[in-house]
Amino acid sequence: MALLQISEPGQSTEPHQHKLAAGIDLGTTNSLIATVRSGKAETLADANGKHTVPSVVHYMSDDNFEVGHKAKEQQAIEPGNVISSIKRLMGRGLADMDKIKEFSANQLIESESGMPGVVLDNQVEKNPVEVSSDILRTLAERAEQTLGGELGGVVITVPAYFDEAQRQATKDAAQLAGLKVLRLLNEPTAAAVAYGLDTGSEGIHAIYDLGGGTFDISILRLQKGVFEVLATGGDSALGGDDFDRAIAHYLVEQANVDSDDRRAHQLAMIKARDIKEALTDTDTVEVNFLDWNGQMSRTQIEEIIAPIVDKTLLSCRRTLKDAGIKVDEVDKVVMVGGSTRVPLVREKVEKHFKVPPLTDIDPDKVVAIGAAIQANVLIGNKSDDDMLLLDVIPLSLGVETMGGLAEKIIPRNTPIPIAKAQEFTTFKDGQTAMAIHVVQGERELVDDCRSLARFELRGIPPMVAGAARIKVTYQVDADGLLQVLAEETTSGVKADITVKPSYGLSDDQITNMLQSSFSHAEGDMEARMLREQKVEAARVIEAVSAALNENGKELLSEEEYAAIQSSLEQLNQTSQGDSIEAIENAIEIVEKNSNEFASRRMDASIAKALVGHEVDEI
Amino acid sequence: MAEAQRNYFELFGLEPNFFVDQKELSSKLKRLLQSAHPDRHAQGGSQQQMLAMQKTTRLNDAFAVLKHPVKRAQYLLQVVKGIDTTKDHTVNDPEFLMQQLELREELDTLAQQKDAAGLMTLADKIEAMAEEQEASLGQRFEQEDWDLEALKVSIYKLQFLHKTLNDIELAEDKILD
Repeated sequence: MALLQISEPGQSTEPHQHKLAAGIDLGTTNSLIATVRSGKAETLADANGKHTVPSVVHYMSDDNFEVGHKAKEQQAIEPGNVISSIKRLMGRGLADMDKIKEFSANQLIESESGMPGVVLDNQVEKNPVEVSSDILRTLAERAEQTLGGELGGVVITVPAYFDEAQRQATKDAAQLAGLKVLRLLNEPTAAAVAYGLDTGSEGIHAIYDLGGGTFDISILRLQKGVFEVLATGGDSALGGDDFDRAIAHYLVEQANVDSDDRRAHQLAMIKARDIKEALTDTDTVEVNFLDWNGQMSRTQIEEIIAPIVDKTLLSCRRTLKDAGIKVDEVDKVVMVGGSTRVPLVREKVEKHFKVPPLTDIDPDKVVAIGAAIQANVLIGNKSDDDMLLLDVIPLSLGVETMGGLAEKIIPRNTPIPIAKAQEFTTFKDGQTAMAIHVVQGERELVDDCRSLARFELRGIPPMVAGAARIKVTYQVDADGLLQVLAEETTSGVKADITVKPSYGLSDDQITNMLQSSFSHAEGDMEARMLREQKVEAARVIEAVSAALNENGKELLSEEEYAAIQSSLEQLNQTSQGDSIEAIENAIEIVEKNSNEFASRRMDASIAKALVGHEVDEI
Repeated sequence: MAEAQRNYFELFGLEPNFFVDQKELSSKLKRLLQSAHPDRHAQGGSQQQMLAMQKTTRLNDAFAVLKHPVKRAQYLLQVVKGIDTTKDHTVNDPEFLMQQLELREELDTLAQQKDAAGLMTLADKIEAMAEEQEASLGQRFEQEDWDLEALKVSIYKLQFLHKTLNDIELAEDKILD
């Protein structure tokens, strides 16, 4: 938690130190981790030279787990203890699962988090955040082994069309895996970065990203290192898995499989994937599935999957319209995601955009590579880079109003970070609490939108009805995550907010999960935390002192200067002691006293950005 | 000294004026964001990141206002004259109101018939009207002494047209669903 060190944009405070950072593509079917080494971004392979890690986790009876190819091999042997496609469950509710339940080997139940829990054969329940966290941990370990050090931070990609709950669940999984998230990056934006930097390409780019379980379409303008997302759209529950499911459905029908036969359905999915992949290069395949033997042709599966592909093109049309871009203004179309290998997808996309889609960078790796480039910049390894990613919120944010209607507060495709304030009043005398229901989506009725969270404001000072003015501010940060602040403006009382995510873990639940994983080493933890707090205190002192020296006299009144100075001295003294809490408090006081100073320093540096360039312009 | 008080025009180094060069505005936003965006402060502490988020939010807000003719006009009146035109709406111009009513009826009919092409034609027509209204609003702002009543009416009219354009978008969205 360093403070106030407003270094020049993009410049590291310690330029010579190369820090380890990685980009992680946490996919529905496969995951990858990449990093920048000697100026080149590349994905990291395992000991057998394999880059992709199947996003499959096998839980063993002894509490251990394995992730990847080995876990996948267990799928046919021990399906009840193997979890795949967990990304589909992130930030979702059990009711969303109807479509995929049939072909899932695992039993899904309602869990405490609101998300579906997966029940293993030994009746142990795993929530999606835990499972994703196990995948992330495995990927991070691979990077740490390859690079020979601890990762200082990671950029994790998410589908652009992921809603807030799905993003939060992803970030929670990273936290649980002990990873510092530098940024949640939208997958198509990551792909655009990889392409843009690799080829120096400029202009309007459409990124068509069809993964295992999600579909994104993003329209970006690339210009002088700025990647500006104009609009994004898609379907966070549509992907190559749906091709498999459609084919599997056909197989199950041909073989007259009983609808309760989980095992057979699971096998049909595996078979379907093989058929789909085989028909990428050949025109017909022989199929043996249970008692059924037959032949399937490419034309046949194209008929089966065409409606799914057409659905993606409808999203493309809508997103172009949102971006205010006509089809013939699109300069380049980039294909991302394993499912874009399907020939029919390429054909239809080319026909729609009237340009041949680009596949120069491996569609499986391009997202991880882009994320690695961004991670390298954010960790501070690249000093003179102008690269800037400007992204948008994919789905409108709204609140529930009278009659179950959703009132839009922040419309979709608004650039982030963004905030909107709304004013409410009380409708009963002496009312001290108020409930707010935040939803995400485009539809008019709350029931047709995704429920994100219910907030309860408490501690409103009692007044007559209609007298209180409660200002609620919805802040969406650069990760697309929402924070809600509430204040009664006539009295200045900050209302307390209790957040109950509709599909997610509360802060307490996460803390508990983290603690239980650390409980064995409690003594070590304390010592480590104290060490970290002391380092932090030293950093704060150094940073704030340097800032004061630089322009404290210029930007601060004498009293303000003195107040910061004295809180620094206090922190210096406290940090000699052994109380974690006291040091924490002292840091907080410095932070509070110096906040306005930091703000002025930043404003001065932002204003300079404008002046500095005006000369070039003339 | 506190920069939070700087108005949106000042943030972009502009004089308070209705005419804003959109290309320049957009390129200035990018320059400002090169310095303010949270990604540029990823190595700073939580306080610095929080500030960067707030500054960027304000720049994005300012940009959205200066980009949009109705919001820009309203903001300009607010900043220069302290007049809030965002709340009460009165246009005492029966001819204009009748015309708007007819346009809305046309929109409803087209929406019901799911006539996407018809909606596009209607949007083009209204867009032309909005452009005309915007030009006349611009002229009123050019005058030395602002005729405040005329400005208000002009802003309301433009707002009307933009609202209808917005509703056409929504109707088009529904057809795409």
